[in-house]
Amino acid sequence: MRYYVQRVALAILLLLAVSMLTFGALNVLGDPLFNILGPVAGDVNNPDSIKMIEVAKREFSLDRPLPVRYAIWLSDFVRGDFGVTFSSTGQPPVSGVISERLPRTVTLVAMAQFFAIFVSIPWALITASRAGKVSDRISTLNAFFLVAMPNFALAVILKYVFSIKLGWMPLTYVADDPLRSRLFQMILPALTIGLPVAAVYQRLLRTDIITTLQQDFILLARTKGLSRPRILLLHALRPSLFSFITVVGLNTGALIGGSIVSETVFRIPGIGSTLVESVLRNDFPVVLAIVMIVASSFVVINLLVDFAYTLIDPRVRR
Amino acid sequence: MSTTNNSAGNQDEVAKKKLGFGFWLCVTWLALMVFVALFTPLLPLKSPTSNFLDSSQGRPPYAPSWKHWFGTDKDARDVFSRTMHGARISLTVGFSAITAGFLIGGTIGVISGYFRGWIDRVSSFVFVVLLSFPSLVLAILLTSLIERSLLTVSLVLGLLSIAPVGRLARAATMQYADREFVLAARQIGAKDRHIIIKEILPNVAIPMSSLALLGMAVAVVAEGGLAFLGLSVEKGITWGGLIQLGSDASKTLEKAPWISFFPILMLFLTVLSLNFAGDRLRTYFDVKEMTL
Amino acid sequence: MSSAAPDRNEVEPLIETVELRTHFRTPRGIARAVDGVTLQIRRGQSLGVVGESGSGKTVLSRSIMGLLPRNGVIREGSVRYGGEEIGNRTPKQMRSIWGREMAMVFQDPMTSLNPVMKVGKQVTESLRLHLGMSSSEAMAVAEKIFRDVRIPEPTRRLNQYPHELSGGMRQRVMIAIALACGPNMLFADEPTTALDVTVQAQILDLLSEQIRDRNMSMLLVTHNLGVVAGYTDEIAVMYGGKVVERAPTKVLFSNVKMPYTEALLQSIPRMNQPSHSRLAMIPGRPPDLVNPPTGCRFAPRCAYARDVCVREEPPLVQAETPDHTFACHFPVGSAEYHERRVELNRASTTTAEVL
Repeated sequence: MRYYVQRVALAILLLLAVSMLTFGALNVLGDPLFNILGPVAGDVNNPDSIKMIEVAKREFSLDRPLPVRYAIWLSDFVRGDFGVTFSSTGQPPVSGVISERLPRTVTLVAMAQFFAIFVSIPWALITASRAGKVSDRISTLNAFFLVAMPNFALAVILKYVFSIKLGWMPLTYVADDPLRSRLFQMILPALTIGLPVAAVYQRLLRTDIITTLQQDFILLARTKGLSRPRILLLHALRPSLFSFITVVGLNTGALIGGSIVSETVFRIPGIGSTLVESVLRNDFPVVLAIVMIVASSFVVINLLVDFAYTLIDPRVRR
Repeated sequence: MSTTNNSAGNQDEVAKKKLGFGFWLCVTWLALMVFVALFTPLLPLKSPTSNFLDSSQGRPPYAPSWKHWFGTDKDARDVFSRTMHGARISLTVGFSAITAGFLIGGTIGVISGYFRGWIDRVSSFVFVVLLSFPSLVLAILLTSLIERSLLTVSLVLGLLSIAPVGRLARAATMQYADREFVLAARQIGAKDRHIIIKEILPNVAIPMSSLALLGMAVAVVAEGGLAFLGLSVEKGITWGGLIQLGSDASKTLEKAPWISFFPILMLFLTVLSLNFAGDRLRTYFDVKEMTL
Repeated sequence: MSSAAPDRNEVEPLIETVELRTHFRTPRGIARAVDGVTLQIRRGQSLGVVGESGSGKTVLSRSIMGLLPRNGVIREGSVRYGGEEIGNRTPKQMRSIWGREMAMVFQDPMTSLNPVMKVGKQVTESLRLHLGMSSSEAMAVAEKIFRDVRIPEPTRRLNQYPHELSGGMRQRVMIAIALACGPNMLFADEPTTALDVTVQAQILDLLSEQIRDRNMSMLLVTHNLGVVAGYTDEIAVMYGGKVVERAPTKVLFSNVKMPYTEALLQSIPRMNQPSHSRLAMIPGRPPDLVNPPTGCRFAPRCAYARDVCVREEPPLVQAETPDHTFACHFPVGSAEYHERRVELNRASTTTAEVL
């Protein structure tokens, strides 16, 4: 129990540090006033501009010191008030933009993780059980190729081959389509993110399964007369999953990073592509909100991974 | 009894001893790329910014030909020349980023691994905080706030490698900090700075340096990603930018795949070589994948 | 048993090997781990295979059972089980025999049980596979076996993970796994080496009791002659991949022939000796299995070796005692043996005086 409390406390501390860093970077490195007003912010000779600057400063509390602004922002943020977007007309609340787009990204990342896990596990099992043979070597080389393919390049290739040349997959994502076709439209984007990660998982899991297969308890399982697939699935897989789970957790970051690229290439209006657009438009509250949401979910996922550990390995249970 | 670890174990054992043909092939490719990156302006390349309009061929983009090996883009600019120029920024950023990351991260890691105590606790926390951002997100956040020059983009990507490099350096240092020769040096009254430089650094540097190529691969990919999103070095040609240009509109990609596919090929071969050579080096020096 | 000696010999052996060879391809060359072993185990009998580490005893037991990795292994000679040749069967063909007809108890119960599977499941697995039991039937049988191997609170134990059990308890679980399907042949590979001294005797008692009750045969592999003394009918002593002496247990202890066996006997720790008295260690190292010495493989370490021992390999010969064979040019009790013994004694007393 103490372990769980400690881990949660650390996670909260981390989130605070992450938010300070993000908020600080945006306010110190960036110029919030310029972000709000655009060129007007620099025009201090024009009385109209000065008036606008005054108003903006009051409205966004820019006249207060940084720590106070941070406190105000944080208390708003935890209550779900992410501010308003600067650039769109009518200043819609950021929370609306996020709640519309976040589910798409979550679906995409989940789908990618699903592909990665369910491609890598059978792949690793098969190659580990034929370690050293030709088929294993070819697959190791394949994994190398996949890992070396940056996901934006993979996205372009998949799009070219499957959407443009073969025409098997739709070219674009249509937000108004029914759920089933939207899921279908996400397959290529999810593969873009998931395949290189699957190669990473496979390499790790293959090594761990090979190590497990040399354990005495596998020999015992053989003396019971169990078939090879059964031994692999029932005896070798689970004890080999420890580092796999950690890496699956850690790679969620890579998947989110991948979703930024994939959403941009395949034109999916998720928070990844929104982050890029907002960054290019200097839309400060949106950037802040997205970075915070992404980092928080990353911290929380890692926390859950640590807890999942205790479920898989009965030895670390307390 | 050595009955169980027979088949796969021995082959791995044997494979460990040699770097192999693949390694040298990769090194050759990397050397070629470095040469191109270093001497781009001196090479007999077409101008990367000129428009080679050819009325007999109609409207550009033109397909690959003897005149334009990699074809041309929509503005009739030579893709081969542009790809070669792209090597310059991609490799420079990749190299500078990993150098910065190793210098800063390595120093912090060695110091905190050697002295432990509060320094270690603070730096470990900083590492965890940095690792709490998916690296591309942090890179986008920071590059969006600065003037994007060769130096600043390298620094941002270097910052991203501080945490992983620092953790490795810390783990490696801790392995050596308690060894006999370090304890002996301490007993005869050697200064900490002396011990770190003379005793620890040489031992930590070997495993770390074999990871440098792998780190550079990550940095080159990251730069490519930023460039692809339009967030890398503002002026100049990058592989990521070229790929983006050739694939931005599905029409372009359909009609002129060469515009993006040749830069993809170069990027892929370079990253593959860095990964493969790095992986061989790591096995060669028998560096275990320490805590990451 | 009251049956006469010749009658016993007519019973067909349960396990029989003829000139069994098991070699491993290593980077240095071919290691002859088992080099021409011929032995028989009759139904209901137990054979102790004794030797130092590296003598080939573990490989022998695994080779008989067919449990070796497929790559890099050369296996020749014949293995018969119940009169049927099984030496040439693939692991796939062996599967119906493993667990059901033959089972193995391993040395280290810490590493031999699956750490992430409840022990109940590990016991019932083969029951469900070979005997087609439902999971509740198998659990009931497992509980009964747990009782047989004296695991207290069997119902609760079945739901525990290996790390929740003591070493002795784990070894009992392992024996339960081996006994589950009622096999005829049990291989026990150093079953007590990893356990506390106090637990060792309990486990051996349990094993021999179960063997007797179920009329099973056993091949007990150990490096400690003391272990096999009370628990086996016959003993085969292995050195450098070969059987160098073989006799019924009682005969062996009363009439040792091979100097190597004698040396092994002297290295048994005895309860009745004062704890500070020295154990006789056998000097030197076990032979290199890639380049074994010519002649008698024990000769380089043998105090009684003469020139002929290094030149010529001694054949297995019949001793004067029944069912007793050995391979030695100058066995314990021979004139040459005594001659050398006197010299050795003299030498040691003079050294003692000098000191």
